[in-house]
Amino acid sequence: MQRIGFALVLAATLVAGIVAARADFEIRYPIVDYREFEFEHNGSTSVDSRSAFNNNQSYTYELGYGLFPWWEPEIEAPYNAPPGSNSAFGGLTWENTFQLADPGEYWLTPGFFAEYQHAASRANADLFMFGPTVQREWNNALGSGLDTLHTLNLFVTKQVGRNRNDATPIAVAWQSRLRLNSYLQPGIEYYGNLNNVVNRTTMSDPTHRVGPVLVGLVNFYRFGALKYEAGYLFGLNNATERGTIRWRLEYEKAF
Amino acid sequence: MLVAPAARADDANFVLTMKGRKFDVAELQVPANAKFTVTVKNLDPMPAEFESTDLNREKVVVGGGGTITIYLGPLAPGRYAFFDDFNPQATGAIVAK
Repeated sequence: MQRIGFALVLAATLVAGIVAARADFEIRYPIVDYREFEFEHNGSTSVDSRSAFNNNQSYTYELGYGLFPWWEPEIEAPYNAPPGSNSAFGGLTWENTFQLADPGEYWLTPGFFAEYQHAASRANADLFMFGPTVQREWNNALGSGLDTLHTLNLFVTKQVGRNRNDATPIAVAWQSRLRLNSYLQPGIEYYGNLNNVVNRTTMSDPTHRVGPVLVGLVNFYRFGALKYEAGYLFGLNNATERGTIRWRLEYEKAF
Repeated sequence: MLVAPAARADDANFVLTMKGRKFDVAELQVPANAKFTVTVKNLDPMPAEFESTDLNREKVVVGGGGTITIYLGPLAPGRYAFFDDFNPQATGAIVAK
């Protein structure tokens, strides 16, 4: 009986870890869309011949508003379906994007991202995730006439409350893309979870994923704008699924 | 400090004024391959939003004389369209030569 209890706690801890990791397939930009409402959907599903890694699904639905030129809060509802499980509500998340300078004002456009997730299940821990997000424009790169955009996220996660563990995983996300036009911007992105940076005993091996992405925007002007991202990520080590399909859809409307 | 100022004091500055819900200049000529700033003044009572997908910029400027600064360049020679996202009939372009 004690073993079953231990197994349940361990499973809950692993699921909490998966929740944190799955939510990371999204680049956070250091730009606030002041006075704009945003509705955003993110999704991902894994592809692997190993059943423990196959069909790991994650979906989020977010609603945000640019309250100030420097602050945009969002409310997010994540749903997760680990391999072999049904989709379940992961918990309510409060996200905050802080824009610290205008694009082009400095060599890097600096920003800060912070979120707090209240777990839906009492078996899971709440968590904070926060860290810098920076962006660099490189227009007319090497005199080629091509405009490029590069974004880097470096986030730390800390669990709090009951059933927490003391690990401090670091999530790295990077995206570089070619701004061909507003509709079609091909790029490449990397997502890494460096789980054993601080506490090697409580988290799994690090994961690394890299792959191509398409980003674009269709502007309907007075009727708002639709942004999309679609990518495929290749797992780079055995702790990572062989492939992950990820997508993002965002509708925004200025008021 | 991670970042260093990129927009130097001697960067060229250009001014766009919004009045009657339109831009006062249809085409703004700027130097190619150089950094510059554009100051947008909004003399209308309602807010406006300078937006350009070509330039990857969007910024709200409040009404009643509000001003904002847009940091741009270096740009390859070409034409870069912009508009007011709150009133898309108000359009213009930056032409880098």
